[in-house]
Amino acid sequence: MTADQGPQAPVTADAPAAAAGAPATASTAITMREAVALRVAVALLGAGSVVWAAAPLVHTALASWALALAIAGVAAGALRLAVSWVPLPEDNYLLPAPARAVLRFLQALRVVPWEEGALMAVVWLEVLHPSRPWHTAFLGAALIAYLLATHLAESDASPRALRPQAWLLAAGAALLALGAGAGMLPAAAPGAGSALLRLVAAGALIVAAGLVLPHGAPSGPPESAPRTPDS
Amino acid sequence: MSEPNMPNDPVLRAAGQRSGRDSELVWRSSRHARRLLTLGLFGVFVATLARRPEFAGLAAPALLLLAAGRIQRRPPRISVRVRLTAQRAFEGELIGVDVAAEGQGDCDVRWTLHPAHEIAPVGPTAADGAQARFVFTPERWGKRPVGTVDLVVRDRWRLAEGHATVNVPRLDCYPAPGQQRTTVVLRRLPNRLGEHPARTSGEGVEFFGIREYVPGDRQRSINWAASTRRGRLQVNTFAAERSQDVVLIADATSDVGEPGSSALDLALRGTAAAARAYLGARDRVGVITYQWGSASWLPPGLGRRQVYRIIDSMLSSDSGWARGTNFSRLPRAALPPGSLVVAFSPLLDQRFVEALRDMRERGFTILVVDVLNAEPPARRRSEHRMARQIWRMEQQAIRFSLSQLGVPVVHWDGEESLDLPLAGHTRRPMVNQR
Repeated sequence: MTADQGPQAPVTADAPAAAAGAPATASTAITMREAVALRVAVALLGAGSVVWAAAPLVHTALASWALALAIAGVAAGALRLAVSWVPLPEDNYLLPAPARAVLRFLQALRVVPWEEGALMAVVWLEVLHPSRPWHTAFLGAALIAYLLATHLAESDASPRALRPQAWLLAAGAALLALGAGAGMLPAAAPGAGSALLRLVAAGALIVAAGLVLPHGAPSGPPESAPRTPDS
Repeated sequence: MSEPNMPNDPVLRAAGQRSGRDSELVWRSSRHARRLLTLGLFGVFVATLARRPEFAGLAAPALLLLAAGRIQRRPPRISVRVRLTAQRAFEGELIGVDVAAEGQGDCDVRWTLHPAHEIAPVGPTAADGAQARFVFTPERWGKRPVGTVDLVVRDRWRLAEGHATVNVPRLDCYPAPGQQRTTVVLRRLPNRLGEHPARTSGEGVEFFGIREYVPGDRQRSINWAASTRRGRLQVNTFAAERSQDVVLIADATSDVGEPGSSALDLALRGTAAAARAYLGARDRVGVITYQWGSASWLPPGLGRRQVYRIIDSMLSSDSGWARGTNFSRLPRAALPPGSLVVAFSPLLDQRFVEALRDMRERGFTILVVDVLNAEPPARRRSEHRMARQIWRMEQQAIRFSLSQLGVPVVHWDGEESLDLPLAGHTRRPMVNQR
């Protein structure tokens, strides 16, 4: 089950496998308690991010829209994870109308990218506030934690799955702190220096997009992949 | 219902279909990667637009994760082996699907079973790991596909997912046979060694009578009590033991009734039960599957494997109709003269009833097991009630006309043992008369 199709119950087939004498499955699967804890963590991190970005409240139409969008995105994302164990039957035309309506709702819940919408709304809420670089850095850390928790919850993986990228997360945290520190420096005066900064930012955007957009497999087989005679 | 244990026979149980083959993986960004991308790009965009470098810092961890994820190696293909623990099973029996992957490197593998129609998974349908086993049970007989297994390979940082789908080998699901211990035996049996006591003297174990001693008789067979009474030596004689030819006819034209206990279900279950019972009594058993005026047939044979041949024959004739030999012109091999014919039918097809009459007139001893357990639905309108009544009378007339021809019709509901409806015919030999 892919994340796009919605995760299933956070259990593995180990139970029947053990009953039928199956080979053991090595995995980073989690128990029911851990799955519930992850879902609660997602909801709390999302809600905390929204509150952190929205406070103090800005009373403009744009801010209100962004706040509503952020709340809706976080709530729907949490709900999606909470009901991810509900299976969606492939044939539902024989079901009664209320059951079909529920299934359509669940389908919509799983298809719409709620978290992406919530991310943009939360960041925009933060933009609407006056410059508080340390505040933005904390928000960044909370959003990364929210994304990682969401990912773990929807793939039913243990936090141990993040261990290989711990050093990368540490480097990201350092960059986050660096960005906050740069924001705390006095603003550059208008002129050639300011234009140069904008150029550097635009270049960084292009490089970042170039790095992440063609997100495909590198060509050529891996060294560890065994080849069969017919391949 | 008897224990469905035949396919577990170590000889007949299949070793399972092995299909280790390379599957191309279709890689795409995971949902996690798309969210990181959103945060990274939007952060850089805001930093540029608002000239606030702290937002570039906010985007940095996400972009760093994505950029580092790109340098990971991902296998373009993976070797997948899918194997059923058995290729044949009875309805309701637990079967496992073993799946194993090789060549995924350090990527995580997640399996998801998508069962096909009439295949009920037992336990979870998703599993993690390089190998896993899913357990399922086929709910209804037939040669049916089990379904597919989706394979998702995730890289170490779960930023990309490789997808592949593998078909699970097909399963031959046999109808769970009913229970039958007793057998119907003809009065006149062919001159072939078997286990049924015949009405002639021979070398069996059942007492047949006494006669006067003639030189050459064994001493141990002398009946001393009778010899003392008559004053001459008398010897015991024993009944000969013979076998018979049994032809089972499964009427596959009408599948009426609740799914799982329909007329066709009961016909196949009854046929399987009868095949087991008669083959257990060392009779030669064959089968004819009747479908819309035509028939597929299997000549009578002996042995335990004949049960599987019979069921396979019935299952292979399940998918089509109007194929095979004309029912009224079956060859002698399919319907040997003097054989006992046991038909499992709801008696709804008039051509089948006519064929039974024709066989009776040709001298076959026929026994019909009526497997009809459904009626037209009850409605309120008077014409519907009238039609239902007429339908019932027609059914009674069909059964009455058959019984007048010397074709007994017994009813079986599928729940009880077949011994109960057949009790009146298993207690004494069945007369084969013209």
